[in-house]
Amino acid sequence: MKYLPLILRNVFRNKVRSIFTGISIAISLFPLMLLYAFLDLQDDMASSTAQYNRVAVLHEGGLAGQLPIAYVDRVRRQPGVKDAIPLSWFGGNYREEKTQFAQFATDPKVFFEIYPEYACPPDQIAAWQSDKTGCLVGSVIAENKGWKIGDKIPLQGNIYPVDLELTVRGIYDGPDTADRSWLVFHFDYFDESLKEARTPNSGNAGIIMLRTESASKMSPVMQSIESAFASSDAPVKPMTEKEFGASFLEMMGNVRGFIRMTATAIVIALICVAANTMAMAVRERTREIALFKAIGFNRNTILGMFLAESIAIGLLGGLIGGIGTKFLFSLIDLSSVDPGLGMFYVPWRTALWGVALAAAIGLFSGLIPAWRAANVSVIEGLRKVV
Amino acid sequence: MSDYHDAVVQLLDVTKGFRRDKIEIPVLTNTTLHIPRGDFVAVMGPSGSGKSTLLNLCAGLDRPTTGQVIVNGQNLGQLSEAGLSKWRSQNLGFVFQMYNLMPVLTALENVELPLLLTPLSRSERRKHAAAALRIVGLEDRADHYPRQLSGGQEQRVSIARALANDPVLLLADEPTGNLDAHSAEEVLELMQSLNEQFGTTVVMVTHDPKAARSAKRLLHLEKGTFVQADIEALEASR
Ligand SMILES: Nc1ncnc2c1ncn2[C@@H]1O[C@H](COP(=O)(O)OP(=O)(O)OP(=O)(O)O)[C@@H](O)[C@H]1O
Ligand SMILES: [Mg+2]
Repeated sequence: MKYLPLILRNVFRNKVRSIFTGISIAISLFPLMLLYAFLDLQDDMASSTAQYNRVAVLHEGGLAGQLPIAYVDRVRRQPGVKDAIPLSWFGGNYREEKTQFAQFATDPKVFFEIYPEYACPPDQIAAWQSDKTGCLVGSVIAENKGWKIGDKIPLQGNIYPVDLELTVRGIYDGPDTADRSWLVFHFDYFDESLKEARTPNSGNAGIIMLRTESASKMSPVMQSIESAFASSDAPVKPMTEKEFGASFLEMMGNVRGFIRMTATAIVIALICVAANTMAMAVRERTREIALFKAIGFNRNTILGMFLAESIAIGLLGGLIGGIGTKFLFSLIDLSSVDPGLGMFYVPWRTALWGVALAAAIGLFSGLIPAWRAANVSVIEGLRKVV
Repeated sequence: MSDYHDAVVQLLDVTKGFRRDKIEIPVLTNTTLHIPRGDFVAVMGPSGSGKSTLLNLCAGLDRPTTGQVIVNGQNLGQLSEAGLSKWRSQNLGFVFQMYNLMPVLTALENVELPLLLTPLSRSERRKHAAAALRIVGLEDRADHYPRQLSGGQEQRVSIARALANDPVLLLADEPTGNLDAHSAEEVLELMQSLNEQFGTTVVMVTHDPKAARSAKRLLHLEKGTFVQADIEALEASR
């Protein structure tokens, strides 16, 4: 600790070099942090939803398959099931916008039974339930689109040859980990519109989301549902909400492996950059190091001082890159890029992980230069320059 | 001989050479030397005669090819590298010709440097360092960085650093080599008064006969051995 002032002075003696090294660490950390924040958020969502004991029931063929709406009642009657709703993806276009957001036809009477963590004033819930063309929107998407209660929302069908005209009756909120970018509306309105248009696709529940009475009931419920529909026209595949979330990631290929590979490449490159900085510092200070040794500093102390210097440079980059990324993303509104990103933020966990990673980069980049410094020959060092 | 037992530096039959392309270049040959406690020795000799090598041996920075070096009763050959580091920090003070100070540290912090190796607390270290700066007359420059000091002042800060840990032996390698006459005078007076007031044993390598005059004794190093030389005669021969 008593060496700290000396170490810090040395970090900043060649300000330009240290700062450039720090900044290159910070800048490279930035995309890494984003990737890891994305993964961490997925994990957070998955683990925070676990407490609600939700199970998603899909067509055996996956998301593209259709589940008859009558299945919802049959699922609801299975022992251990508390309640169930359809979640039928509409996939319409809002005005001239090209990007889509989540729009589900569901059962307004049961919706909050399934998603108890979603909060909405009771009068708004009642208004939504009693208006067949009413819809409920998440706070994130509402803010992004500037929607208020009473606003009309026209949706042009893409998958289905029908257009819907919805009215915002309620805005729901929820914890950070809850998806607050959905628009949900009456399944009945959706289905009647389809029947009017005489399409063969009416009566499609999409997926069924259910809640079990307790955590221990989850796997028996999944088993009994699977066998109950096994010999029907549309066999089903139940999975926990967590598995369901993970299956989306899998659709993007081995995202995690890819992210890790990218991260490793970036980290190795950074270690080389920082090692070069430290090697230059050692070379320049050969005489000083010799002096330190002549005065009586031993090699371990010198090794420690240079390692600490190198870690300090890493930390400098880590603090700018890690904490900086966190605050940068709390300032900019990503939902203007894509409404799905509206809930994106960099958790503290990820930010601190970035800082620690940068410190580790500092440590590893300092190993060889510090070892060289510790082994400077006093006699050679003192003969130099003079 | 009483000073035999109270010798601070003893070289016993020391031979030192450097190997260069398989050829051994002898620097010191079968040299025996005693420097008694409280002595102030000036070492002169032509360039390349081995003056710096002698200091390195006394400091345990280098080891003799054969023979023994005993400083303040410690046979340096018996110490490990780490042991030598520790021993240096407790027994030695160093002053070099130039580039002596850490540029990132103030005068006071430079003087404090060797004290970091002691168990002293921060405030005690500061107090000791300030006292050492006062001895060299630079207490008003405590917060100055080396680049803000003149060459002579830098050298005085080096001396303050060398004496901060209260060394038994002060080794100086051409401490006035880079200074103008006036600054050199100041530095020499300072070393003289350290030697007289605190009884610190001083071994100073110099090329300057005038500098050598401030010493009590002059050793001349030539062709691998020491010759006791007379300072007055040296003066007269000029
Ligand atoms: N590390 C070394 N490797 C090889 N030769 C060395 C080494 N150190 C010293 N020498 C040789 O030993 C001899 C004595 O060197 P030293 O530095 O002790 O001389 P010096 O008397 O201090 O000279 P100067 O007055 O120029 O400082 C020289 O010939 C030098 O080249
Ligand atoms: Mg020399």
